[in-house]
Amino acid sequence: MVEGDGNLFSMIRLQGVSKQYAENSVGLSNIHLAIEAGEFVSVVGQSGTGKTTLVKLLIAEEQPTSGRIEVGGWDISRLPRRDVPVLRRQIGVIFQDFKLLPKKTVAENIAFALEVAGETRARIRRVIPQVLDIVGIGEKHERYPHQLSGGEQQRVAIARALVHRPKILVADEPTGNLDAINTHEIIEILKKINSFGTTVLLVTHNREIVNHLAKRVITLLNGAVVADEVKGKYRLS
Amino acid sequence: MLSLWRIIKFSFEDIARNFSLSAMTVLILVLMLLSVNTLVAVRLLTDEAIANIKDQIDVSVYFHPEATAEELAAAKNYVESFPEVRDLIFLSREQTLEKFRAAYEDNEKVMSSLGELGDNPLGATLIIKTREPSDYEKIITALSVPEYEGIIESKTFGDTQTTIDKVHTITGQVERFTLFLTSLFAVIAFVIVFNTVRVAIYTQRIEISIKKLVGASNWFVRGPYLMESLIFSILSVGITLVAIYFSTRLLDPFVAAMFAKPHLLTDYLLSHILELAGLQLAAVLLLTAATSTLAMRRYLRV
Ligand SMILES: Nc1ncnc2c1ncn2[C@@H]1O[C@H](COP(=O)(O)OP(=O)(O)O)[C@@H](O)[C@H]1O
Ligand SMILES: [Mg+2]
Repeated sequence: MVEGDGNLFSMIRLQGVSKQYAENSVGLSNIHLAIEAGEFVSVVGQSGTGKTTLVKLLIAEEQPTSGRIEVGGWDISRLPRRDVPVLRRQIGVIFQDFKLLPKKTVAENIAFALEVAGETRARIRRVIPQVLDIVGIGEKHERYPHQLSGGEQQRVAIARALVHRPKILVADEPTGNLDAINTHEIIEILKKINSFGTTVLLVTHNREIVNHLAKRVITLLNGAVVADEVKGKYRLS
Repeated sequence: MLSLWRIIKFSFEDIARNFSLSAMTVLILVLMLLSVNTLVAVRLLTDEAIANIKDQIDVSVYFHPEATAEELAAAKNYVESFPEVRDLIFLSREQTLEKFRAAYEDNEKVMSSLGELGDNPLGATLIIKTREPSDYEKIITALSVPEYEGIIESKTFGDTQTTIDKVHTITGQVERFTLFLTSLFAVIAFVIVFNTVRVAIYTQRIEISIKKLVGASNWFVRGPYLMESLIFSILSVGITLVAIYFSTRLLDPFVAAMFAKPHLLTDYLLSHILELAGLQLAAVLLLTAATSTLAMRRYLRV
């Protein structure tokens, strides 16, 4: 094969991907990336350098202006709307602001994700304790989000992201609202999920996390990749 | 099946959450349907009135006073031979005069000039009723042959056509007004349904974004709004039919005073209930579903 940067089917592959929002608003410019199955990759960069844009492109919330994006060998650059749900069940996502429904309990929040995917009641009943167990919050399944700490809420969000057993988990600054202890716990959960074989893409600002992980780090600057190191350090000041 | 059940559940939750808007939507749909049904009732009463008038139409053939008994009998037999003739009344010269007197009893001028003439100036009369109003033309034509022209003074149609025209003018105006009202309500219904869906999408924007995020099928995102259209439609048609039933019961005595049918409106409603309910449900559903689809296309990018 001609490609030098990875296997035939990388889990995530971006080829010359650019995202131009408006005349003078560049999200990403000419990105080349390949992330293999089972990798744990951190994406770092200052605010406004295109990290969230990368996440949005991966979950087909935005379409690239040019270039090609593949997920598990599937070209999602021009994904028709009806195929978006299929992609979203293969990529779990979490955000800084948890995105939980305030009027539903922990268990109901997770059930909701399964219900709207048309899963049977029996399967929902089986999956909820499984995912809550992974994030270690099973005993609080009847609480409402406002009765939980930020770290616990983010764990619920992670549990919800796992209900479809996604191949990829994307986390866009998941610890942005959390203190050091909770941050550490969330990162440990992400490492645990990665150890099961799930590819993890962690977008973060946090120098300690990146240095502590000692895994691959991709650094973005003004929408371009300026560094991509296998055992990276947080290089920006 | 499971999905359908969940979508119904979601839509009822949403209706409860935006209860006042939902109630308003149903109300305006009911108003629209009520005016449609008024239109139906006006049509029904018009038909009944015209049928009644047509029933009263007859052709009067006035013979010359000089016509002989044989000639009159021949003309009578000739007319009787037509299968279209339902009823035939023969008035002799004396009976015609009596009828004329009775009709102009209060008109002194006519009565005095009748007195001056002394002798009975009127000929015999033949009053003909046919099965169908359209048959009159045929009878008139049949009598317009030389054989009978000679003994016939005049033939009158009565002025029922003018009466029918008058009924049509009045009911036509009522219909146009009701039609206008119906379209007005339809436009208002469009605006309100559109707005209801817009508000529902707005109040549920977080749920919707989470649904999309976790890979809900589009049917789960859009389905509840279409289901709401169905619920609004069924509710409004149901309420309308109940309201119409009680209105017809209330109006029937007044209608009965005009036409010799004690339960004209109620009977019509009950015998056409499936048709009325089905057609109106289909129409309202079309309106609400199309409107919410439009609103979703505008505010809900799946
Ligand atoms: N929806 C949008 N419309 C216009 N410009 C946008 C939009 N989203 C992001 N941008 C711009 O794209 C650039 C990258 O944004 P983003 O990917 O959110 O950065 P980051 O997540 O690294 O902070 C920024 O300059 C931002 O202003
Ligand atoms: Mg961001």
